[in-house]
Formats: sequence, C-alpha cells, structure tokens
Amino acid sequence: MAIKTIAMIAIGFAGGLAVGTGFVAFLVVLGVIPRLTQLTKTEKWIHAYEWSAVSGAVVGGWISLRSSMLYAAKYWLVPIGLLSGIFIGMLAAALTEVLNVWPILAKRMRMANKIVLLMMAIVLGKVFGSLFYWIYFVEAGSP
Amino acid sequence: MKKAVFLKLRHRVQVRPKDVILAGDVAQMIADNEETLEKIKQIPIYRIEPSDKNMVVIDVMKVVDALIRFDQSLDIQTVGPAQTIIEVVYPKRNVSFIYFLLVWLLLFIGSAIAIINFHEDVSMKETQQHLYTMITGEKADKPLLFQIPYSIGLGIGMIVFFNHVFRKRLNEEPSPLEVEMFNYQQSIDQYVILHENKESMKRIDDGD
Repeated sequence: MAIKTIAMIAIGFAGGLAVGTGFVAFLVVLGVIPRLTQLTKTEKWIHAYEWSAVSGAVVGGWISLRSSMLYAAKYWLVPIGLLSGIFIGMLAAALTEVLNVWPILAKRMRMANKIVLLMMAIVLGKVFGSLFYWIYFVEAGSP
Repeated sequence: MKKAVFLKLRHRVQVRPKDVILAGDVAQMIADNEETLEKIKQIPIYRIEPSDKNMVVIDVMKVVDALIRFDQSLDIQTVGPAQTIIEVVYPKRNVSFIYFLLVWLLLFIGSAIAIINFHEDVSMKETQQHLYTMITGEKADKPLLFQIPYSIGLGIGMIVFFNHVFRKRLNEEPSPLEVEMFNYQQSIDQYVILHENKESMKRIDDGD
C-alpha cells in the first residue's frame, strides 16, 4: 500500500514537473510577458509577473482537476472572458509574428505601407471567426 | 606629404536608374583640405545599367581604387562597413486596389478559419462550459456571457501585442513587428552583400 502511494505521488509529481516546465518554456518562447512589461514599463515587477503566471497555472490546474464550484454570480464571467481573450489574442499575435508572416507580406507583395490595414484584416478575422464559432457554428446542446 | 582622407561607406543608398554614382554619394569623407574633399566627392564610381536590376553592391576596394587613380598622394583610411548596397528605385508601380482587397480577404478568412480550428483543436467549448459550471454552479450549453467578451479580448490582445493603440505615446521602443521587419531586411542585406558582390568570392576556375 505504502509503495503504491509513494509510486503514485512520484508519478504525479514527475508529470506535473514536466508539464510545468513545458508551460514556462512555451510562455518564454512566445515572449508575451516581456512584451507586456515593455509596454507598461514595469520591468521591476517582472518577478511578480512570474509568480502570477505560476500561481495562475497552479490554481487553474487545481480547480479544473477538483471540479470545485464557486456558486458566484454569472457576471464574473465577463471580465474573466475578456482577460482570457486578451491572453489568447496575444499568444496568437506572437505566433503570427514568430512565423515571419509580416516581413514576407510587406516585401514580397509590396505592401509595406498597408501593413496596418492587413493587420486589421487578421485581427477582425480572428474576432469574427471566434464570434461566428460560438454563436452559430457550435450547435447548442448538439446531440 | 600625403593627404589624409577618412572614408566611411554608407550602408544603403537609393539612386534612380541610369544615375552615375559619385564617391560623395556612397561614402562620407573627411579630408584636412576642403578643396581636395570637394574634388574627390565628385569622382564617378559606377554607372547604373539596366542589367543591374534593382541592387548593386559597391565594395570599398572599388572606391579606394577610384580615389587612388585620381590622386596618388592620397592616404586613405577606411572606417565602417566594407560595402554599400545601392538600391535602384524605379518609378513606383501602383498596387491595384483589387489586388489589395484580395490579400485582405485572404487574411481575413484565413485567420477566421484558423481560430475556429484552434477552438475545435483544444476543445475550448467543453472547457468554457466547464468553467461556467464551476463559477455559477449552473449548466449552460452556450455560455455566451463568457464567449463574447472572450472574442473581443482576442482582438484587443493582438492589437496590444503589436502596440498599435499606444503608438509613440507609451514608449519609443520599436514594436515586435518593426524588429521583425528589421531582422528580415538585415538578413536580405547580408545575403545580397555576399552574393551580388563579385569581389567577395574567388573561385578556382576564375582564372586570375
């Protein structure tokens, strides 16, 4: 029994460790946190941001595994939704940028002066696609 | 006594087709004598031919060579980059509006489909239903109260990342987009310097 328990703890801990390091590596590669600190000029708080990402991951992991319920007002979902959207949006933007889409577009298609308009196409496309997906594409309670 | 001349090539020079490039165009120069300086600035280095297309690389050796031929007594000191990229600027062809519209639509529809695929791929629907239940204790098939702010946030996040709202106001640092464009240009320049510059490579069968 004791061996089983110890084995489970070791496996769970090892799995968590691997996923945690992977998560951090992912955030680091995309550079979302440096970008935010650079925009807001809050470099001295960077350690607080690290802890916010870590504790967010821990809390999210815990409550999603435990299926805890808060029985709070449903309007809490509005700010949470907005913030999670901004986060995913930044990830998506970072990915588009990493893939070097922009310089190619600007140089090859001779559109360096219209790059802002083209960026708006991608941004509006994401917003439209997302709204379309949630409102029409997903059939409510589809069998 | 030798006349000292300091010479620094510019990184990139734009010219028109059929221009003659003068030493003063490709390089910044300092000489102890104003008269000499004005004279050497007028030395022709190269004439743009139609066969040059839109890029020519001028090596520092070529400039030094032209200067020495002009006046044997010059003592030339070179500083900075060893070659200049000459960009031949042809009269701009206007990008047609329809072409632009096509690219715009391509990006719009492409990114819309990409985000739908992403949501399907990570099973975001189930996650959000789960989250709704976690917070309110009720079940909902379409938690639109979460999903609509989420969709708007998606757009805000992308714009914040590219720093187009706070442009020039929040800080002077370049946006990731500008850095990316710079890196790309830098790599192209590097390539052009090595490949368009005939002086930079010597092959076995060149025969000289």
